Amino acid sequence: MNEQSLNRLISIIMLVLSLIILVPFLIMLVTSFKTMGEVLAPNFTFIPKQWAFFNYIEAMTTGNWGRYFFNSFFITAVAVVVSLIINSVAGFAFARLEFKGRDLLFFISLIGLMVPQQVTMIPVFLILKHVPLAGGNDLFGQGGMGWVDSYMGLIIPYIAGSFGVFLFRQFYLNFPKSLDDAARIDGLTSLKTYLYIYLPLSKPVLATLIVLKTTSTWNEYTWPLIITVSDKMKTVQLALTLFRDETNVQWTLMMAATTLIVLPLLIIFLTLQKYFVEGIVTTGIKG
Amino acid sequence: MILPFYLFFTVFVIIPIIVNIGLSFTNYNLDQMSFIGVKNYLNLMTDRFFWVSLKNTAIYTFFTLIFTMTLGLLLAIVLNRKLTGLKFFRTSFYLPNVTSMVAVSMVWLWLYEPSHGIVNQALGWFGIGGRQWLFDVNTALGSIIVMSIWKYTGYYMVVFLAGLQGIPGYLYEAVTVDGANGFQKFIHITLPMLTPVTFFLLVTGIINNFNVFEQVNVMTGGGPMNATTTIVHQIYSRAFFDFLMGYAASLSVVLLLIVLVLTTLNFKYSNQGADLDIG
Repeated sequence: MNEQSLNRLISIIMLVLSLIILVPFLIMLVTSFKTMGEVLAPNFTFIPKQWAFFNYIEAMTTGNWGRYFFNSFFITAVAVVVSLIINSVAGFAFARLEFKGRDLLFFISLIGLMVPQQVTMIPVFLILKHVPLAGGNDLFGQGGMGWVDSYMGLIIPYIAGSFGVFLFRQFYLNFPKSLDDAARIDGLTSLKTYLYIYLPLSKPVLATLIVLKTTSTWNEYTWPLIITVSDKMKTVQLALTLFRDETNVQWTLMMAATTLIVLPLLIIFLTLQKYFVEGIVTTGIKG
Repeated sequence: MILPFYLFFTVFVIIPIIVNIGLSFTNYNLDQMSFIGVKNYLNLMTDRFFWVSLKNTAIYTFFTLIFTMTLGLLLAIVLNRKLTGLKFFRTSFYLPNVTSMVAVSMVWLWLYEPSHGIVNQALGWFGIGGRQWLFDVNTALGSIIVMSIWKYTGYYMVVFLAGLQGIPGYLYEAVTVDGANGFQKFIHITLPMLTPVTFFLLVTGIINNFNVFEQVNVMTGGGPMNATTTIVHQIYSRAFFDFLMGYAASLSVVLLLIVLVLTTLNFKYSNQGADLDIG
């Protein structure tokens, strides 16, 4: 067998494999367009007999879906913007400025990559519950709910991660030293050097981090599950479980809602694939 | 300039680690707290749920990691060739990784559904009887593992692909001149050159898989008969259902220790730590 026909054979095998990988997505999509009657019919058909577009309307009008989507968008947007600013500034400082204890502080922030969020979720919850003078708390953080069940509580823990700092630091380390010298001769302060020289050159890292951070925040389930109490603070990921109770699952509505939640990210992924892969390749770590 | 980052980092990462260790020596239940020494840890030793969750987590991590890494490597090697449709293949294998674990769990709940789910229907076409995948003590954990392999393989593929593309071509040319065949090239060049990447994936993979929670909580809630409960699931339910914050904290300390020990062992015995740039 020559190289060309071997490649063709491999292509066919890969095609079959990737279609198998895509089956769950296809099932999700077709189920979202079926009527419940057809879903429960004994014989499985791939293409819906009648297209039940109303599943989408019904799914989105069950519960507070407008609010859930707003919550998820808002939390994601704020977490991404704030953490990007904080991370790039810190990354710049770690890479380009010399100050006392820099290496030790950087080494300590390595811990942020090693210790999983699941280990610290109880104390983080307790700290947020006891924020002084918030959510009915007194000066000593007692008596009320603190930032539990609030946007502050939902957003703030996402900002603490050190992943972005590493990415920016790695990136800035590659810049030539002469760049800093030139800036200093022009009389720029460190903050201005960062703002006018480094930040405009950071577009690739910014794009990568925006993509990874958006994905991880939008997809987060555990933290909202812990920190929210009321229905109006739920995110879309939490709301997905609403179509299911002990006795009954509304599969068609659930698949319609799932499709709507997955769709924004799939579109972002398909248009910005390069940045997803770049972040993973440069660090090997999921945002 | 690092102050804003360090403020958040200290309050929400460093202090929680310390608070967590402190809490694990108390019986804090949101109302009252008193120091009880190592009592939580002694209770852990006789807690059946803890041992079951430890066993389940270990089984889950072992099988998920073995399969995702092996399949990821195989796919990466195949997709490192010049094939037609390359981009489509890479995209489809990576797609599950982009979607949220909750969404994926919902879809797989439907696939595994006993009477109308596609898994049992497809088995029926071959005359094989269906099963109650997620409600059967013998298959529930395995079903979650299969789903996780489906979700994560693409990630390992992408990292291995990056590793493969970092191997300089002249190494292959050199052994081709010496008459090495494809298999020999794989054993003598590809595998050794991939060791740092493999090691890195192994360490991070253990940490990530040991924290399995979302799919368990959504799909089975730890059931049936605790067949799928994991360490993080135990931490979650002890802390936020039973409000045994101190006891749950001691569970997280155990999780932290396990992760640290496994990571250190890996660094020590693979001698690859020096080559690895974690940043």
